[in-house]
Amino acid sequence: MTLINVLSSILLFTGGAFFLAGTLGLLRFPDVYTRLHALTKADNVGLGMVVAGLAVQAQSWVIVGKLLLIWAFVMLASATTSHLIARRALQRGIKPWKR
Amino acid sequence: MSRLSSKSWLNDLMNIHFRIAWFRVVAFAFMWVMLTEGSVNSWLVGAPIVLVATLISMVLVSPFSCSVIHSVRFVPFFIWNSLRGGANVAWCALNPKIPIAPGLIDFPLRLPPGISRVFMANTVSLLPGTLSVNLGKNHLKVHVLDTRKNVLSELMTLEKIVAKMFNISLHDGKGDECNENIL
Amino acid sequence: MQTLYVSLALFLLLNLIVGMWRVLRGPTAADRMLTAQLFGTTSVAVMLLLAQATDKPALHDVALVFALLAAVTAVTFVRRVWGDRETKHDTH
Repeated sequence: MTLINVLSSILLFTGGAFFLAGTLGLLRFPDVYTRLHALTKADNVGLGMVVAGLAVQAQSWVIVGKLLLIWAFVMLASATTSHLIARRALQRGIKPWKR
Repeated sequence: MSRLSSKSWLNDLMNIHFRIAWFRVVAFAFMWVMLTEGSVNSWLVGAPIVLVATLISMVLVSPFSCSVIHSVRFVPFFIWNSLRGGANVAWCALNPKIPIAPGLIDFPLRLPPGISRVFMANTVSLLPGTLSVNLGKNHLKVHVLDTRKNVLSELMTLEKIVAKMFNISLHDGKGDECNENIL
Repeated sequence: MQTLYVSLALFLLLNLIVGMWRVLRGPTAADRMLTAQLFGTTSVAVMLLLAQATDKPALHDVALVFALLAAVTAVTFVRRVWGDRETKHDTH
């Protein structure tokens, strides 16, 4: 039981770190496109870690399935959303930042 | 003779459609079990909803073929690469110098129009250093976080994997294995 | 474990508040919209954590609704609000 708790804590902490990195990227990156990179990738990994940390504690397989389903759904939604935002940004002529 | 063969062709088509419809019914039913956490009472609502969802999905998403083995193999590939992507972008965000050199590239698609392209565009956004910006006629415009890295070969690998998932063979000037079939 | 869940949920909420800085700064409407995406993912994580902490599985459904709302909001924004001027010149 304690081993599961330790594993779960590690996963949850890592997830929190990824969320923090995503927010930092949102604040620090230079333009819309790079911020989208930071948000979609870091936050999805963060959510994945949180889901994994909760799934190892779950009582039944159905709960694990539901958590994974929620994760998959959020991933699909955020990938589609980021594509839509990036496409419209390009259509409106927002130039990608160059070093 | 020709009438008979055309009829059997129609029969085959109906069979394929029924198989896919059944497959989707099972998938939606499975999803319903997950969502309701296995509650038995909920099937009073669930059964009609699964049927309606299948009908709507058959209208909206035309049937496509999909390899089960390659779909299962895709999962570890996807998880590993999205972890890599998350770690990479997190490192860039935490690094005080922000080591990025972004740019746009046009990736020539060999996948046929349809669900496989949409799937590819969505996956690209979650993989390391790439973000799909526009799905054109034959090109996928991709925003790259670091143009110094070799992203094209990674995209080609992803395209091959997606093609296998949807039972598509990629034949174009770029792939040298299928050229002799044209003659 | 209970404390860990709750404190992590609070940390994520703090993350959201910090992310609001992007809404204030902009500079484009798209940058402001990004925070909606941040909300979509983070609030789902917060709800899942609270569901575990308070032992209320119903909160999983709230998480699902949040995810759905975030997606719908973004699509509406891109299609209706942000694109008005351009759609007249679009080819389709």
